[in-house]
Amino acid sequence: MSTLSHIVHTVAQQAGEATADADAAKNTAAASGAGMAYGLAAIGPGIGIGYLVGQAVQAMARQPESAGQVQTTMFLGIAFTEALALIGFVVFILLKFV
Amino acid sequence: MLATLSALTAAAAETKETVNPVLPTTNEIIYGGIFFVLLLIFMWAVCLPPIKKAMRQRDEQVQADLEAAERARAEAEQVRRDYDATLAEARSDAARIIEEARQAAEARRAELIGAAESEIAAQRQAALAELDAQRAAALGDLTAEVAGIATAAASQVVQRELDAVSQRPVVDDYVNQAIAAR
Amino acid sequence: MFAAVEFPPIENIVEWPNWFGSGALGFNKIAFMSFLAFLLPVLLFLIASSKYKARLVPRGVQTVVESTVDFVEKQIILPTIGPDGMGYLPLLLSMFVFIFIGNIFEVIPTAHMPANARMANPMLLALLTYVVFIGAGLKHNGPKYFVQALFPPGVPKALYILVTPIELISTFAVRPFSLAVRLFANMLAGHILLITFSVLTISLVGGGILAIISPFSFFMLTAFTGFEIMVAFLQAYIFTLLTGVYIGGAIHPAH
Repeated sequence: MSTLSHIVHTVAQQAGEATADADAAKNTAAASGAGMAYGLAAIGPGIGIGYLVGQAVQAMARQPESAGQVQTTMFLGIAFTEALALIGFVVFILLKFV
Repeated sequence: MLATLSALTAAAAETKETVNPVLPTTNEIIYGGIFFVLLLIFMWAVCLPPIKKAMRQRDEQVQADLEAAERARAEAEQVRRDYDATLAEARSDAARIIEEARQAAEARRAELIGAAESEIAAQRQAALAELDAQRAAALGDLTAEVAGIATAAASQVVQRELDAVSQRPVVDDYVNQAIAAR
Repeated sequence: MFAAVEFPPIENIVEWPNWFGSGALGFNKIAFMSFLAFLLPVLLFLIASSKYKARLVPRGVQTVVESTVDFVEKQIILPTIGPDGMGYLPLLLSMFVFIFIGNIFEVIPTAHMPANARMANPMLLALLTYVVFIGAGLKHNGPKYFVQALFPPGVPKALYILVTPIELISTFAVRPFSLAVRLFANMLAGHILLITFSVLTISLVGGGILAIISPFSFFMLTAFTGFEIMVAFLQAYIFTLLTGVYIGGAIHPAH
């Protein structure tokens, strides 16, 4: 966390020095923070959804007769897992555009 | 970090004074709400009931048709079984009738044959009897003739009238011996 | 041929000017899409039901309508609420078609904007879900519903210190928020994705030698358009499915 904060500060400082414009510096820092927020937020759900779907496919291959139920449960799991990435995306929008 | 980010965000928001793309706007909330509630009311009261009714009705009809088809199949099966049974009965009847007829014909034939045979036997018996009678008659005649001739011949031989009647037993005896020897 | 195109500012791709009216009654593109999302299903259902007099075997519009109803019944209500949840069919069906039509405008030419990429409709529907599932729990279980939801049976007493705050937050605080954000963010992300590839394609066409890459960019745009059609359906399905799960969990708190 402190490393992240340091990076954001550094980017902000560098941007500020480069442009010598306070608003532009803040925007640049927000943009880089936004990218980082979304990038980090995508890691966990990416792994999670991959694992989830893999396991669901395995379950369906082992028991094709329960494929419908597994599919419904799979979509629910994807929905819950994906929410984290989407919150990251919203944070990205908030940081980048607001 | 969060503090930094929020501070930056707040600063950015202050400086740019733009609308937030994440927050809803009042007019869209109002129209969205109005139209969704309208959709819900229409679905509830107007649109869905006839569709559901038709679907249920069709399900019931399909079910009824299936049952009717099943019944018709069972009936056809029953009719077929009856028909088969009747056919088998008719076949066995026919076989029985043919057998009876055959037996009757057999009996009749045997009877006819027996009658014919007995008639033939009777006729033959009669013919034989007649034959015997005729033969006996002929034999008698012949014997009488032979006796006459023999008596005449003997009369010629002995030069004396022989009585045919008194010599008759001799002749008969001889004839009988001849017949026996033959 | 084309000049290089800048990526438009976010206000230009999600904010729409009012067609008429102003302020709280300003009628813009999003409001018109909400109107279509109300009008199209109602018209389709009315046309379908008017045709049943002629014939009972479905064809055309009837097939579309009936398969939608059947989908919501068999794929959403039965696995989540069960056979006793058929009373929620109008609500869930309305939600499904409203969200789906709002979403599918993302890929329809001349519209090219999902109504649910604005927070208004997802937020409304999520709040409705929140009210409905709590109402369903209260209706079926009485005030005991809150006790059962916050103190799930079968948990050791000491663990309630841990479980109850988690249940409180996850059931009564996060649910509407995550529902709304999931739909909204998915549609907004898809919208921005399509805009990105459109802008990229046009920029590459006007970019001299780089124009040779633009067919690939255009291919990606086409592929993502297909992907977004799937997402539009899937998000409507997931939103409705989660509503069903929440209602089912409120009605049968044992599971």
